[in-house]
Amino acid sequence: MNRRVYLDHNASTPVHPEVVEAMLPYFAERFGNPSSVHAFGREAREGLETAREQIAHFLRVGKEEIVFTSGGTESDNMAVKGVAMARGRGHIITSRIEHHAVLRTCESLETLGFEVTYLPVDGHGMVDPDEVRRHLRPDTILVSVMHANSEVGTLEPVREIGHVARERGVPFHVDAVQTFGKVPIDLDGASIDLLSFSSHKIYGPKGVAGLFIRRGTKMVSVQHGGEHERRRRAGTENVAGIVGFGKAVEVRARDMADEAVRVTALRNRLWEGIRARVPEVRLNGHPTERLPGTCNMCFRNVESESIVLGLDLAGIGVSAGSACTSGNVEPSYVLVAMGVPVDWAMGSVRCSLGRSTTAEDIDYVIEVTAPLVEKLRSLSPASV
Amino acid sequence: MYSPTLIDHFRNPRNAGMMRDPDGVGEGEYEACMDLARFYLRVRDGRVVEARFQTYGCGPTIAASSAGTELAAGQRLEDLAALPEARVEAAVGGLPGERRHAAEVVALAIRAAARDALRRLETARGLEKA
Repeated sequence: MNRRVYLDHNASTPVHPEVVEAMLPYFAERFGNPSSVHAFGREAREGLETAREQIAHFLRVGKEEIVFTSGGTESDNMAVKGVAMARGRGHIITSRIEHHAVLRTCESLETLGFEVTYLPVDGHGMVDPDEVRRHLRPDTILVSVMHANSEVGTLEPVREIGHVARERGVPFHVDAVQTFGKVPIDLDGASIDLLSFSSHKIYGPKGVAGLFIRRGTKMVSVQHGGEHERRRRAGTENVAGIVGFGKAVEVRARDMADEAVRVTALRNRLWEGIRARVPEVRLNGHPTERLPGTCNMCFRNVESESIVLGLDLAGIGVSAGSACTSGNVEPSYVLVAMGVPVDWAMGSVRCSLGRSTTAEDIDYVIEVTAPLVEKLRSLSPASV
Repeated sequence: MYSPTLIDHFRNPRNAGMMRDPDGVGEGEYEACMDLARFYLRVRDGRVVEARFQTYGCGPTIAASSAGTELAAGQRLEDLAALPEARVEAAVGGLPGERRHAAEVVALAIRAAARDALRRLETARGLEKA
């Protein structure tokens, strides 16, 4: 039986045992609708508001500034569309490497007459704050730049970008789905007005996320049908999920700093081990300004799905940077934006470490990867 | 998602690598995803006695290439020159929809190699008559 090693924590994480325990009562005991006035509803409401307080405390903001959603994608949609629709028209600045939840939302707004500037990134995947300043216009209504890219892990200079946006009075949205609970976020210091964050990336349940909306930010609801979340997002709340989210954040507050150090060391061990054993491999993303657990590598002249499959058969779960689907393979748009040549980009693999990852796991991955890549390269015409 | 046959061919690819002095060589490429398969054929009396492959591509394309070498062995060149993709797909125990191009790439390569072998035979016959 193979060892099982999960290195796809940027995709999702296992729910922490303390989180499961916190959630359980809210399925069959405290199951009421939090909008109901009777005791059953009040019990559920109490759990929901406790979670809100836990998250607000973690972010050092007012609890009325936290709105719960169904996921990071919804939070991004809500932030971008909510601000845009409040203005009715205008110009948005974002980056070419945002998550599709932001990119596709911006593209849909373009069909409604909004204008969008998609800023380039450098070879590490970093946005230049001066580029943001250069593209600000009198009609710019929003700047949206992610805190860290999910594929390569590069941490964006949100503090500098936030200052640029604040100077001109333009709201600043940050998609922090990959950084919330992993690295510190200073909302005031970075002049952030809207922050998307998610539960299932930090050992909480799927199906629940949040959006911080700074008091005074003008926006409209994009989901109608009730008075929930102070009329900002209609729909009966996922109480058990939110309770779990709150507990996950409480656990992260306790564990985050130590885990960042531990996981960074393991991530570096992985890269150093691969680099020592495998020729023609490169690391993508900023060498130091990067998520603690993210290691995105390109293997030249090997196709990424074949590596992912080979690792999967050895019990190792990683993510491919490109996806081969019904004949439409594109190399990762993030790597393309970073200027990675196609023959490298087609062989990209993302490893994202987490709480359960051990040094033995990393050594096992290295032991499997080196001969796998060598074997796949020996099959290729380019090896001649 | 993948059949046990496909997994076996991926884990243990048969007949991989170049062939010295092949009687026919052909390539198939799926431009949309850059998968590329190259097939080499050894031919006796109009039939393939050995086939080898070199392939860059996703797991299913590698597996289909391996299966393709076994599929080609013993076959007449004229039959291989018209090899349908469905036979390659059947040789790996089926393919999910988004991986069907693996069968296409390999069939293209085998057909091209068989046609190359037939052309060389024609040329050789022509030289003999002269």
